[in-house]
Amino acid sequence: MKNKRFAIVLDTDRCIDCKACTVACKAENNVPLGPDNYRNWVVTGKLRGKYPNLGQSYLPSQCQHCSNAPCEHVCPTKATTINPDGIVHVDDAKCIGCKYCQTACPYNARYYNEETEAIDKCTFCTQRIYAVPSQLPACVETCPTKVRAFGDLNDPESEVSLLLARNPSKVLKPALGTNPHLFYLD
Amino acid sequence: MSMLTKRPSLGLWIGLLLLGMGIGIAGVVNVLINGHAHAYNVTREIPWGILIATYVFLVVSSTGLCLVSSLGHVFGMKQFEFIGKRAIILAILTLLCGFGAIGMELNHPIRMGIYAILSPNFASAIWWMGTLYGIYLMFLCAEFYFLMKGMHKGAFTMGVLGFTAAVSAHSNLGAVFGLLEARPFWHGSFLPIYFIVSALVSGGALVSMIVYFNHKQTGQPMPQQIASFMDILGRLQILFLMTLVFFVVWKIIPGVYGQPPEKYEATMALLSGPYAFNFWFFEVLMGLAIPLGILFFKKTRTPYGVMMAGLCSTIGIFFMRYDLVITGQLVSMREDTAQLIGGLLQYTPSATEYAIVVGSICTCLFLYTLAERLLPLSSDEH
Repeated sequence: MKNKRFAIVLDTDRCIDCKACTVACKAENNVPLGPDNYRNWVVTGKLRGKYPNLGQSYLPSQCQHCSNAPCEHVCPTKATTINPDGIVHVDDAKCIGCKYCQTACPYNARYYNEETEAIDKCTFCTQRIYAVPSQLPACVETCPTKVRAFGDLNDPESEVSLLLARNPSKVLKPALGTNPHLFYLD
Repeated sequence: MSMLTKRPSLGLWIGLLLLGMGIGIAGVVNVLINGHAHAYNVTREIPWGILIATYVFLVVSSTGLCLVSSLGHVFGMKQFEFIGKRAIILAILTLLCGFGAIGMELNHPIRMGIYAILSPNFASAIWWMGTLYGIYLMFLCAEFYFLMKGMHKGAFTMGVLGFTAAVSAHSNLGAVFGLLEARPFWHGSFLPIYFIVSALVSGGALVSMIVYFNHKQTGQPMPQQIASFMDILGRLQILFLMTLVFFVVWKIIPGVYGQPPEKYEATMALLSGPYAFNFWFFEVLMGLAIPLGILFFKKTRTPYGVMMAGLCSTIGIFFMRYDLVITGQLVSMREDTAQLIGGLLQYTPSATEYAIVVGSICTCLFLYTLAERLLPLSSDEH
């Protein structure tokens, strides 16, 4: 069977900064309490314009599941690898807690989880997407305005493939050449 | 203890070191009981703190001592031969205490021992750094053994191998930072080269202190041979320091010229931001300007002056390491900087982190003091 290439496409115009994605993720993935502990987040954009003509945008994000991932390059013990479906994965047992991946990640997607005793980050909810029947990642499913779409880029009929075919999009920090798999519709 | 009662200054020195080690042990116990997250102030965005800086400081010292001592028994400069044993034993101890500091920063040092062997990533600069420093430690130990046994051929061979390992391992430490494309303040080929140059300053500074204090504790007037060695070392240190000044200048200029994103903010944190006092007072004034001022003039380039210049440089270099490690992480990887003070992230070491820093440095000095007492380290005592 052909491998998948999982990705998320985001339409940030729809984001209302409710942070339900962060809460759902924390609940689904047993993310510990504490301000540094989260797998996804919403960046609050700068306030645009002058009163009364104001605007503001929000940028939800998480691990970009880069195909040229700096975290994978730097990990001294191969605790971080990329699985055949493109998911950047941490093997908890091999993580030595050197935090090199944290300094290498241009998106600050990683934190040290004191409960699992390893570096933790978004996994696209592998426990859900590989379940039978498969479910969507928690952040995708919970979003009230459907900011995120999740799917397989190797399937040309998938929602993510169609969205990227029909709309121009961009990735974060493209100049670093990390080849992220979170796509933001323009 | 009769030795201590005769020499109160030695008793005081050992007492202070034991106190420092006690503080360090208290810090370690706190980490073991409460965990890294509660004991340290490192964060998700600034994951490397003062313990990494201390590790870098100590292993730079080790490399520097190895490089400077190799001037004698590798490059055949006769005047440097007598420092061999002392420089190499201190190189071993600074390296081990550096490992101790980074061992406390790692969450799983035992897993490191296992998976660095079972699951090595040859693309990782940290893997290479650990491996090369391990090899370097073996060569240092062998070199020390041959020096103590008076086996000059073996010491020469191990000295050459140790020198090679020191340069490889230490430039690799620079690469740990330099290979991070996400951190413009560090990224590039500058740091591996800079680390080697600054190691020479560290090594020269420490050697000046070793030689001075070892002679001082004899209570005898300084023989001509040692006085002239201190003069030569002082002149050499001018060369090392001037090279370092050159490197500091060329680190700063590309950081501000044209305001390159992220690199500029980090550089300005040093020049006029929260790290400006560290930079101007400790790095520039204490680490470079005062030592150069002392060493330039024949009148102040006395053995005492050369030692003082070394002491100042060593303190300045500690701040260079700290500032390099921290400022490289001050710029947020995200764009929502509205909540940040001055647009930068913040880090202040915790009491536990300070305690472990004090403990690791005091342990190193204590072990060196013990080595001085227990081992025949003078050159004529084979």
